[in-house]
Amino acid sequence: MWGPLGDLAPTSTESALASIAQPWVYETLVTFDAAGQLKPILAGRFDRLPGDRIRVELRQDATFSDGAPVSEEDVARSLKNSGLGVVHSDGGLVIESRQRGLPTDALLAAVRVFREAQGKLLGSGPFAVAAQTETEIRLTRRIPRAGAINDVRLVAYASSRDAFAHTLKGDANFVVDLESRWLDFFRGVPSLQVIHGTGRSTDAILFNTQLPRTERVQLAEVLASQRVRDLAYGEGECAESRANAGGEVSLPPGPPLRILSWGPFERLGLAARRVLGDRGGQLSHLPPQETVSRMKSGDFDLVTARPLKWPPSAMALIWHSGSANNFVRYSNSAVDRAIDAGDWSAAEVALRDDPPAALVCTRDHLAVVDVHIKNPMLGPYEVLETLADWEVTE
Amino acid sequence: MTRRRIALLLAALVAASGVLPLLLLAIFGLQILRQRGEQGSQEALQAIAGQAAARVAAYIAQQREMLRAIATAAGGVVDAPQRLRDVSLDAPSLGRLRLITAETPTRDFPAMLKPDRVEAAFRGVEVASDTYIAELSPAMDVCVPAGRPGRAVCATLDLLELQRQVQRIRVGEQGFALAFDRFGRLVAAGSGTMRAAVLSGEPVAESAIATALATGKPAPARLRNGEGRDVLAGWASLPEPGWSIAVEQPVEEALRGARTALGFLSLGAALTLLISIAVGSAFARRLLTALELEERFKTAGRIAAGVTHDLGHRLTILQQIEQLAAMNDVDYLPRIRESLAAEVATLRRFVTDFSDLTREAKAADFLPIELNAFAESVRLGAQGYANEAKVTVEVQPAPSELWVRGDRYLLERAALNLTRNAIEASKPGSAVRLRIERGNGAAVLAVEDRGQGVEPDRIATLFESFSSTKRTGVHVGVGLPNVRRIALAHGGTVSVKSKPGEGSTFTLSLPVSDSQSSSPSAPATMP
Repeated sequence: MWGPLGDLAPTSTESALASIAQPWVYETLVTFDAAGQLKPILAGRFDRLPGDRIRVELRQDATFSDGAPVSEEDVARSLKNSGLGVVHSDGGLVIESRQRGLPTDALLAAVRVFREAQGKLLGSGPFAVAAQTETEIRLTRRIPRAGAINDVRLVAYASSRDAFAHTLKGDANFVVDLESRWLDFFRGVPSLQVIHGTGRSTDAILFNTQLPRTERVQLAEVLASQRVRDLAYGEGECAESRANAGGEVSLPPGPPLRILSWGPFERLGLAARRVLGDRGGQLSHLPPQETVSRMKSGDFDLVTARPLKWPPSAMALIWHSGSANNFVRYSNSAVDRAIDAGDWSAAEVALRDDPPAALVCTRDHLAVVDVHIKNPMLGPYEVLETLADWEVTE
Repeated sequence: MTRRRIALLLAALVAASGVLPLLLLAIFGLQILRQRGEQGSQEALQAIAGQAAARVAAYIAQQREMLRAIATAAGGVVDAPQRLRDVSLDAPSLGRLRLITAETPTRDFPAMLKPDRVEAAFRGVEVASDTYIAELSPAMDVCVPAGRPGRAVCATLDLLELQRQVQRIRVGEQGFALAFDRFGRLVAAGSGTMRAAVLSGEPVAESAIATALATGKPAPARLRNGEGRDVLAGWASLPEPGWSIAVEQPVEEALRGARTALGFLSLGAALTLLISIAVGSAFARRLLTALELEERFKTAGRIAAGVTHDLGHRLTILQQIEQLAAMNDVDYLPRIRESLAAEVATLRRFVTDFSDLTREAKAADFLPIELNAFAESVRLGAQGYANEAKVTVEVQPAPSELWVRGDRYLLERAALNLTRNAIEASKPGSAVRLRIERGNGAAVLAVEDRGQGVEPDRIATLFESFSSTKRTGVHVGVGLPNVRRIALAHGGTVSVKSKPGEGSTFTLSLPVSDSQSSSPSAPATMP
């Protein structure tokens, strides 16, 4: 990795590189499987209850890294600040969302259980923190296993070039978050293999919800087209290109549309403006904070973004009325109803009828891994959540 | 030497004389083929390097031409920045196009171009930096005039595509290409193991060659590369942007064809040789068996002839004695007794000679023998015979003791045989000399006489069985062959030098023994 590692602690509010290792140290009660269904981790079993509530019973053998068993009190304490309500109920916990519009399972899958002991936050995952500095975190497996990864070092190099150079030299065994344009650089290196995982987010162009619904429908078709992808991305970069080339749609006459872009989306903004033709208005490439500010004030027509697409419940975080991450203030009662009911298909249909965005390009997760690792995979929920199960050959 | 070994040797000699010249000829031909192959591979690598260099040059020229066209079309208009941003969508390899004017802060100038060079572009001069590694791939900052004085359009050429092209060059299974900048830094590597050096900037084995090539010095066509392997290499250099392209292929792979052919040829030759030896050996053994059988019949015939002749001669004498005895004349009695005694002695010697032929040398019988004393013993043994012939036998000892190991009885039989032959060949009153000496690492017992000598045409067959010409008396022709047999069984030899009318010298040579102990040593095989 490159850049500051940040804090591994589950209480950290900043989005740190180190968070990639959280699943190995701090377990969640549940997570999502490849089909987007909830599955237990720290929970021994769970049951969905009416009113978007989930009843959870803890795994009996779960212990923290100091050997103490994981108790319901530890779980309740961990869930306290996550917008979830917890009630003890006959050998289990009944959990429900207290954030309007946010489903309980989506919140629950994001909450990591921990226990504070002697100023340290302990987890119940297979690894424990052995040492931590600003540039390196060392984790060791609590119960070493033959043929598995028993020690992990997260090393933050100064730049991507340093990180790649050290990986090519064999000093590091894994580079995550690789751009597809760099793949050729690692192909043909005998000590490394390239692995793919389905991307969880999609490069998109969000609409100002003040635009009429019919216009947004047309905009969604025009902007989520192969032409935009061809202009903004390389060949074969987007999952949508492989699935469907799309057709040509023309926009009705109207005033030019103001476009905001930021960070890595300049080409997407340029491509959108070109495809819009006469409707393509001023394109402003802004710093992220300014972009968010303009979005909140509604001073835009189109804005580039990368919303979560998977798991399906993530749409609740982005498109549900009143959601904290719903920056464009999208609101559609049919969508809300479908999300509240957990009917993701219905929600998708409703979103297509009244689109808040044009979903342009979903890119694979790419990583480079040492060839000695037999079964590496990315995802499906957390990028490296399966690392503890990877097998190592001699 | 056994019949099997003789057959094997014969077959090997015949096979080797047939196969080896052919093999040598083929190896010579393959060496020429190998040299031609190496030369051909180097030329091919050179051609690939040249093509790669041409592609690199064409690509960079194309990018810069595109930049010039964009700058001319969009750099001079009022909304040039916006137009440049739009057009960059169509030229992703030019990265972000920037309009640079006199008002542009120098911090916004291209990082790898000094301000005075960028300002030169304002005056209509196209300027470009050396290539450098931006993130992972090579890049080049270029500024071109923008169609209006005081303006330039600058771009950072992304040479990732070139890097990919170089990385994708494959020669055979293991050959690859490398690209270096003018300072010898690796900017693209087809070899995965060398790719870290692209990012780290660490020099590789070829870096010095690339730097030298950029200054016009020749590059070697064979070298040990950055992976530590011996490779054939083709090189090409580009004045602009100062890159060198090397295309390498491991020698092992490049010359695999010639090596495989050589291997197959060697294997084929070895197999042919072995088959020839095996088949030849089998035929030779059959042939030798037939020859031996024939030789046995001949030998039996010669023995029969000799025995018939000699015993017939003895029988004639005994008949004469019988007739003399039948006369019942007392006066003949002494003569009869003398004649019978002589014939008995003759027949005993006859039997003894044949008996010697049946005695084999045994390791247990080998004892240390001091040759001077041994010669003296022989002289005494032959003294009676010498007296009868009125010949003197002398011993000329070696200056010091001279030891050999052997079967004393057999060696004595051999020495006595040579001595008695010498006595027989000598005229009355003359002398026979037994000379002991050390010569060429061997202990020598030479028996010299001053007799009539041996005819030169007989010397070659003198030691063959039943070849004696003295077929009078008891000479059936087994004496000298027996001497030779005994000498060989002791690891020695026997030879003769003779001049008709001047006499002969028979020389018995035996290995010198440094040890005087009586422990047995292995005898040579009795022929």
